[in-house]
Amino acid sequence: MERTGEARLIVEVKGLGKSFGAHKVLDGVDFSMRAGEVVAVIGPSGSGKSTLLRCLNQLEQHDEGLIQICGIGMQAGLPVPRKDMNDLRRSAGMVFQSFNLFPHMTVLRNISLPQERVLGRSRAQADERSRALLERVGLAGKADQYPARCSGGQQQRIAIARALALDPRIMLFDEPTSALDPEIGLEVLAVMQELAEAGMSMIVVTHEMHFAETVSDRVILMAEGRILEEGPSAEVMRRPKTARAQQFLHAVLNR
Amino acid sequence: MNATLSFWAESLPSLISGMVVSLEVTAAALAIGVPLGLVAALLVQSTVRPLRWVTLAVVEIGRGAPALILLQLAYYGLPYSGLQLSSMGSAIAALSWTTCAYTSEIIRAGLQAVPRGQSEAAMTLGLSRLDALRFVIVPQGMRVAAPALLGFAILMLQASSLCFAIALPELLSKAQLIGTMTFRYMEILLLAALLYAAICIPATLLVAAIERRLGKHAA
Ligand SMILES: Nc1ncnc2c1ncn2[C@@H]1O[C@H](COP(=O)(O)OP(=O)(O)OP(=O)(O)O)[C@@H](O)[C@H]1O
Ligand SMILES: [Mg+2]
Repeated sequence: MERTGEARLIVEVKGLGKSFGAHKVLDGVDFSMRAGEVVAVIGPSGSGKSTLLRCLNQLEQHDEGLIQICGIGMQAGLPVPRKDMNDLRRSAGMVFQSFNLFPHMTVLRNISLPQERVLGRSRAQADERSRALLERVGLAGKADQYPARCSGGQQQRIAIARALALDPRIMLFDEPTSALDPEIGLEVLAVMQELAEAGMSMIVVTHEMHFAETVSDRVILMAEGRILEEGPSAEVMRRPKTARAQQFLHAVLNR
Repeated sequence: MNATLSFWAESLPSLISGMVVSLEVTAAALAIGVPLGLVAALLVQSTVRPLRWVTLAVVEIGRGAPALILLQLAYYGLPYSGLQLSSMGSAIAALSWTTCAYTSEIIRAGLQAVPRGQSEAAMTLGLSRLDALRFVIVPQGMRVAAPALLGFAILMLQASSLCFAIALPELLSKAQLIGTMTFRYMEILLLAALLYAAICIPATLLVAAIERRLGKHAA
């Protein structure tokens, strides 16, 4: 995000494959993205979108191909050195469909604790940053509440703030609004749009076709573990080339 | 009736001193056994095989062997290996083992009840495995386990009466002693039972109240 000028690749994936037992969930996935880009990943349920994200931050280990993310290279079959793993986790923020806030900590602790433990910030520094981020996502008043006292939309915005507090270089979102009522999802999407406009590199797995079309620079459409179509948002969404993509888009856009 | 009451009044100080010993041995067994139970709960999931096997053996023996046998082994058996423990020492050693074994299972179940997303969130935030356990998984798992652990603590107080078999001057031993001297077994055992109940019933109610509170704050 601080890197302007020449188009620098922040993610590069080559020949990515992943199986669960005999089930090949990702098969020969290739794609790359430049720093500052916003990429939406869409596709039918079970097409491997979550698995792709989870391989990118190594919640799952891929078993074929090469992943490069934020300057860290990970070849299938080779163990990732601890230092690289730490760098990876520090560079890539993740937001889950189910928020995954820590329910036994206040909102402020949720955001400050990782800063203290991972970045070594003092409690005062961390809290200051946390409060600034809460302000940014419109939840300054929630610092001392427990997550259970916050609505789903608020919890997801807190989860975004928690990830941002570690100053990531890329943010990965796995269906951040799918657990929310549509109008509540809008407040989360607004925060994400603001983040995109501020130049954050983002990969967003989403069923929000409007977000995919208007906010993302590029859309990747997946089916059965492969990338079916890929290109500028309007192009993929308005003029899909393959019949399978047309069928999927027709189904979701006319829902 | 009056005779019983005055007999009880006479015996009460002795029984109370026995009760104090019962509470002490129970408290010590819990203070040592529960942290060991947590350690065992974590070690049985260890990827280091020998560590897992040793832990499993400790837990299975602790659960499989009756507490009475462990007590007697500690008191009569350990001296053969050169370690002579007082009856208090043996009682604490044996009951800590039992506590460790049973609570490790309770705690393991508690840890497993913590949703997977919690450790995934901790991981993606870059917390180390140890930090994830310390700040995220163990606090939540212990909260889930708390009611069962408190229930176990009450059972343990009752189980401490087994220590009469190794001459620990706890509540039941004291009652037995008075019984043999006065032949008024019925009355003295009744009083001992009332004393156990006087602690265990309020404690049970307290546990239920805590359980309700924890349930309310769960996410
Ligand atoms: N841990 C796992 N073990 C076994 N199979 C898995 C596992 N995780 C995912 N799968 C399978 O892999 C396939 C792809 O799953 P994935 O979650 O990546 O799909 P998705 O595109 O994110 O779908 P959705 O839109 O429903 O979230 C599915 O068939 C799923 O059942
Ligand atoms: Mg998914």
